[in-house]
Amino acid sequence: MSLRAAPRTGLLLVAPALLLLAAVTAYPALWVLWLSLQRRVPIFGIAEFEGAGNYLFLAGDPRFWSATRITLAFTVISVLLELVAGLLVALALAGQRRGRRLALSLLLLAWALPGVVTAKLFEWLYNPAAGLVNYLLLGAQINWLGDPALALPGLIVADVWRTMPLVALLCYARLLTIPAEIYEAARVDGAGDLAAFLRITLPLCRSILLIALLFRTLDALRAFDLMFILTGGGPAGTTETLTVYAYRSLFQTLHLGLGSAIAVVVFGLVMLVAWGYLRALRREGLTA
Amino acid sequence: MTRAILAVCLAGALALAGCADSPPRDGGGGPVTVVFKHAKLLGPVDPLAPLLVEFAALHPEIRVRAEALPWSSDEQRQFLVINLEGGNPGFDVMMLDCIWVPEFARAGWLLDLTPSLPPGELAAHFPSAAEAARYRGRDWALPWMMNVGLLYYRADLLARHGLRPPETYDELVAAIRRIRAAEGNPRLEGYLWQGKQYEGLVVNVLEGLWAAGTRVLGDDGRVFPDPERAEAVLRFLRGLITEGLSPPWTTAADEEITRRAFGQGEAIFLRSWPYAADLFELPDSPVRGKVGLAPLPRHATGTAGAGSTGGAHLGVARGTRHPEAAITLARFLTSERAQRVMAESGAVKPTRPALYHDPALVRAFPSLPRIHDLTLAGRPRPVTPAYVILSTTLQPELSAALVGVKTPAETVAQSRRRLEFLLEGLGG
Amino acid sequence: MRGRPHPTLRDAAVLLGLAVYALPFIWQVLTSLKPEAELMRLPPLLPSRLSWEHYQVVLERSLMLRALLNSLGVGLLTTGLALALGLAAAYGFARFPVPGKGPLLLAIVAGTAFPQIATVSPLYLLMRALGLRDTWLGLILANTSFALPLVVWLLAGFIRDLPVALEEAAAVDGAGRLQTFQWVVLPLVAPGLASAALLTFLFSWNEFLFAYTFTATEASRTAPVALALFPGVFEVPWGDIAAASILASLPPIAVVVGLQRFLVRGLVAGALRE
Repeated sequence: MSLRAAPRTGLLLVAPALLLLAAVTAYPALWVLWLSLQRRVPIFGIAEFEGAGNYLFLAGDPRFWSATRITLAFTVISVLLELVAGLLVALALAGQRRGRRLALSLLLLAWALPGVVTAKLFEWLYNPAAGLVNYLLLGAQINWLGDPALALPGLIVADVWRTMPLVALLCYARLLTIPAEIYEAARVDGAGDLAAFLRITLPLCRSILLIALLFRTLDALRAFDLMFILTGGGPAGTTETLTVYAYRSLFQTLHLGLGSAIAVVVFGLVMLVAWGYLRALRREGLTA
Repeated sequence: MTRAILAVCLAGALALAGCADSPPRDGGGGPVTVVFKHAKLLGPVDPLAPLLVEFAALHPEIRVRAEALPWSSDEQRQFLVINLEGGNPGFDVMMLDCIWVPEFARAGWLLDLTPSLPPGELAAHFPSAAEAARYRGRDWALPWMMNVGLLYYRADLLARHGLRPPETYDELVAAIRRIRAAEGNPRLEGYLWQGKQYEGLVVNVLEGLWAAGTRVLGDDGRVFPDPERAEAVLRFLRGLITEGLSPPWTTAADEEITRRAFGQGEAIFLRSWPYAADLFELPDSPVRGKVGLAPLPRHATGTAGAGSTGGAHLGVARGTRHPEAAITLARFLTSERAQRVMAESGAVKPTRPALYHDPALVRAFPSLPRIHDLTLAGRPRPVTPAYVILSTTLQPELSAALVGVKTPAETVAQSRRRLEFLLEGLGG
Repeated sequence: MRGRPHPTLRDAAVLLGLAVYALPFIWQVLTSLKPEAELMRLPPLLPSRLSWEHYQVVLERSLMLRALLNSLGVGLLTTGLALALGLAAAYGFARFPVPGKGPLLLAIVAGTAFPQIATVSPLYLLMRALGLRDTWLGLILANTSFALPLVVWLLAGFIRDLPVALEEAAAVDGAGRLQTFQWVVLPLVAPGLASAALLTFLFSWNEFLFAYTFTATEASRTAPVALALFPGVFEVPWGDIAAASILASLPPIAVVVGLQRFLVRGLVAGALRE
């Protein structure tokens, strides 16, 4: 039997996955757009088309703009911190001679945990009375999660803690592929550590850093479990991201139309960022 | 290697799939099982267990499976809503916060109890409790536990400085300043109340609005019909915190946090519910014998202070397969006998006014007649299916005002805009 | 280079640093073993004795055990489903002229970027209509909706990288399509499958948004949701929550630590495509 590819077999192989995705991913993605154009309150039995009403409301809604600002601030700061920390940790790991497996295991612990576990972890650490953080700060009585100025930084620290290992892992894998000879040659030429880092490591890691940037930005924009459990969006909405606002509108007020509109905004934001990055990556010649 | 992984996955999955069956439904004949969802009752003794044993003896054909709801009120409601919305909830009798009853009735999730209740059954309960159970002229739930907001005060401290319980908030503030100046105890707080971002905050603000002679929903459905007064109330509450009359942690305080602080003797005034009264009189309580109960004060612009009534009702899910058994259980638990047993355990107040003058109960809990009068003078929160939308929308706004992130004017204006959008066309 | 620290000292320093990084988790383990009376007082940091009371409470009096079982079942079945469908699709895309392959693959890759908050409300309505709320199947389908695009993307790349010559040689030797797939392709793609399985299981176990929305009772509630709804009466039971947290973390930690190298390979392959 020759290996001439039969299109029908190909379709048969691909069909089940496509059908499932069409049903549970593509169809809902279109449905949410449709929902966002409705005024839909199941408890009151209201389901009527109202066009752009939800979006018009959001345009003048201070809570929506606050959530947008918080989402963007959270994303930018978290991702920046993760990238810097991740690269540094990867460098430390790559130079590891013994105990690599143990090192990686310790590092990946933070990443493996469910978001809810991380949230409970940090909620306990930040406890004003019995938390480790206040203890290490020599008995300070800081109410981390109850202070409007401190809650968002506290949230960001928790998020960076759990996602930095991923960035470190990606950079580490990349660093492993750089032959040691390059560094040796540089040393022979008299280059110092810093010069080697700036002239060799960074440029070679650029592609993986951009990819990590893409993954992490998308994840940070979509993040939900950590802020929902750690602070619930409080205090006074200072950690309420768009995802939390959407969820509360959907399942607390049961205004499916408004909640869907907010979700569509998140959707649009994420796809915009993804498209922007992919174009940038394409220019770098990184994707087909 | 791959095959091994796939095989393990499949085997494990198939093995576990067998555990995924839902609990078997009982067929005809034999005892019916009624599932009863309730929140854990605060208090030293659990009164429900012996009551259910008694019920089992009275009704051997009905088996009751009592299951706990999540702890926080929000989670309880979310759990109930998600299950009832889906159609077959998996429970028959549920404990409801009285503010949910109109909403659940409107959504068609509750069984109409009107045909099954003898006339006058609801009349034996407090009027505000019965009012909360009624929607569009039909009865949808049975009152089970009663609550009313009231003012606790340190009678010993007030007496020492020749003060009566304050009738206005100005008197309250003056009393705090005088007592604190005289006592010289820096750890003595003034007025404790619940300012955390949750339903309790809305209750506190509503009581403030009523004390100022205004309210949150006008007769025409307008939100904050008197915005200036509403702003003044918010300014006052924020002022309590900024001027140190209430501690800074008020913005994260709920019932238990404030109750404990007052119970340790750390404050002069406390706004809370009746359940705390018995806890303050426990043998090892530092404030035993020193606590008085009073109606909430009023603002200068109001006529009288009124506490918010509240409590829990029992409802029957409309999709229940055993309506008669479920109603029998609900009526048993809300009967005079059962409410007496629950009152004896402390921390739960009955919805039947007659029990408040029962000699045996009054001997055990001397504050009962006082609480009875306060309950009669209390006001229910707006009895409308849209109350939860109203409350969950107001909570973050009010919290922002208390914390100082928004001015009272901004809070009132933005709340109005949002609520008018959300409540439009929802009627009642 | 001048002044290089001794390698073993350096290694030890790095390990120490990473141990400090894992401190939040270690602290939670300590908390879960602290007797109740010592929880709210610091110092002392370390428990005076190891107490299993919190684990006892969690395992005997909460619904955590059932939740762990649910997580395991949903996780394994999601992984099985995603791998089966994903491998078939990846092979189809990589080796066959599927009409519209380009746009389809692009759409699938775009699917990995979808935010869950966008599909949660339509899926909720769908689950309700199909009676799948509070069932394993509902969760499996919802989780697969997000795991499958990633699996297809990963595996399609893996297979595409395999030289066709090997399969052609097998065909020349008289092997049929299925045999070629089973004996030539599958063993070569095995590491990719392991990575995909690991990532899918991890995602499914840790998944919260869908599980929180689509489950109602312990019949289907997964471990993260059970932890989020952990009952407390007066105060928050920090010790019990710590114990429940550790229990909910053990499987994903075991999977990640035990199958480390597949993780590196999988993430790198996905990221360093072409």
